[in-house]
Amino acid sequence: MTAGFWVQARSVADRDLLRERRRGEVLWITIPFGVIALLLVPLAVGTDIPLLRRIGPGLFWVIVMLFGVLVAVRQANTDSPAQRDAAALLGLDPAASFVGQTLTSALLLVGFEVLVGIAAVAFYDLPLQGWPWLLVVFPLVALGLALLGTLAGSIVSSVNAGTALVPLLVAPLSVPLLLAATQALEGLRLGRSILSWLLLMATVVLVLAIVGVLTARPLQETR
Amino acid sequence: MTDRTSTWPWVVIAGAAALSFTLAMVSPADAVQGNLVRIMYVHVPAAWLAYFAFFVTLVGSVGYLATRSLRWDRVAASSAEIGVFFTGLAIVLGMIWGKPTWGVWWTWDARLTLTAIMFFVYLGYLALRRTTTDPHIRAKRAAVLGIIGVVQIPLVHFSVTWWRTLHQPPSLIRPDGPQIQDSLMLLALVVGVIAFTAIYAALMVKRVELQAVEEQLTAAELSVDRPVAGEAVTAPDLALGGEA
Repeated sequence: MTAGFWVQARSVADRDLLRERRRGEVLWITIPFGVIALLLVPLAVGTDIPLLRRIGPGLFWVIVMLFGVLVAVRQANTDSPAQRDAAALLGLDPAASFVGQTLTSALLLVGFEVLVGIAAVAFYDLPLQGWPWLLVVFPLVALGLALLGTLAGSIVSSVNAGTALVPLLVAPLSVPLLLAATQALEGLRLGRSILSWLLLMATVVLVLAIVGVLTARPLQETR
Repeated sequence: MTDRTSTWPWVVIAGAAALSFTLAMVSPADAVQGNLVRIMYVHVPAAWLAYFAFFVTLVGSVGYLATRSLRWDRVAASSAEIGVFFTGLAIVLGMIWGKPTWGVWWTWDARLTLTAIMFFVYLGYLALRRTTTDPHIRAKRAAVLGIIGVVQIPLVHFSVTWWRTLHQPPSLIRPDGPQIQDSLMLLALVVGVIAFTAIYAALMVKRVELQAVEEQLTAAELSVDRPVAGEAVTAPDLALGGEA
């Protein structure tokens, strides 16, 4: 008997989280790399604190986008072909697998955002007006990036030039999220409403989730 | 029948281009921009075709996933190619117009930037299609990207409304009607849009035909047995104990 959709998704997420706990790629490699990127920027643009305070939020989101998507793509492609075949033969629903992988990536990305965000606040002396809203902004951006990365990972899996192709596919498509995230932080700084930007993020998440679930099976057939 | 099919698209392209060019030349110069305004008669239709072509790519992508018929995939791919061309044309013409008007070839205007990003989204779509020769695997992967990519279209179109930018608001598609007052200028623009759409349709017919021929050619090439390492290596004759 095959388990239900959410049980399958939960099992995939548990497996991927266990794998991440053992390997520690995000915690010990990607997050330190993101913090290093934050340190490199002032060396290139100057160490003027008012300038860094002004461009810091944007830089933070650019780093989250570029590094975060790679986290999600990596998570989506950790299974070997034999593991994928075994999962398919056991009746694992591709859509449940997609949802499980996405949830894992989203969870890891929230951790990435929080830790790199703390570093950004410390390095660039960023203002923290309206910070409780970040409890909504961070998960939404993480979910959007996780969906995008998992989709891109599924599209390019088994493609020879996959590694080279992923940034070209993903970077332009993450623009709505980048815009909404940066404008939301700018809105918080200026004390404006950010609901329209949250709505844009939620719409992107919804569209990507629907496309991801509906196309999971066709994409599984291409692997 | 075959001859007619292969000839009429060229007639449409030539006729539409001539009509559009004539109207663009006889329409009056703008009071502020002078003759520079004539770029608009190509720039606006090219930008419209970029949206339209990528929307057709979405339709073709959904059509393929629903029916698994390669005809839909050919429509999606052909439209994306044409869309990339017209997006590039719109960007280049915008830059040519921008230099004398704004004083720079490129400015960080929301619409310019988002249009360039849309261009790269579909360049990625075309790059993805080149990664495999199996038509169905290629079609499935490309279809997913063709569906996601379309979110760029409303972003690009409404960017001038959502953000304060240098680029002027939409000229034709506006809630309060077209912004252009001069009737000949408006006619030249509307005819330009229709003519370019006819050119798009004609190019689509030719490109879809070509796509089918390309698939047949690839299939024929892949079905031919070839020596594994070319002529340089001769397989040992096992019947003679490998001494040949």
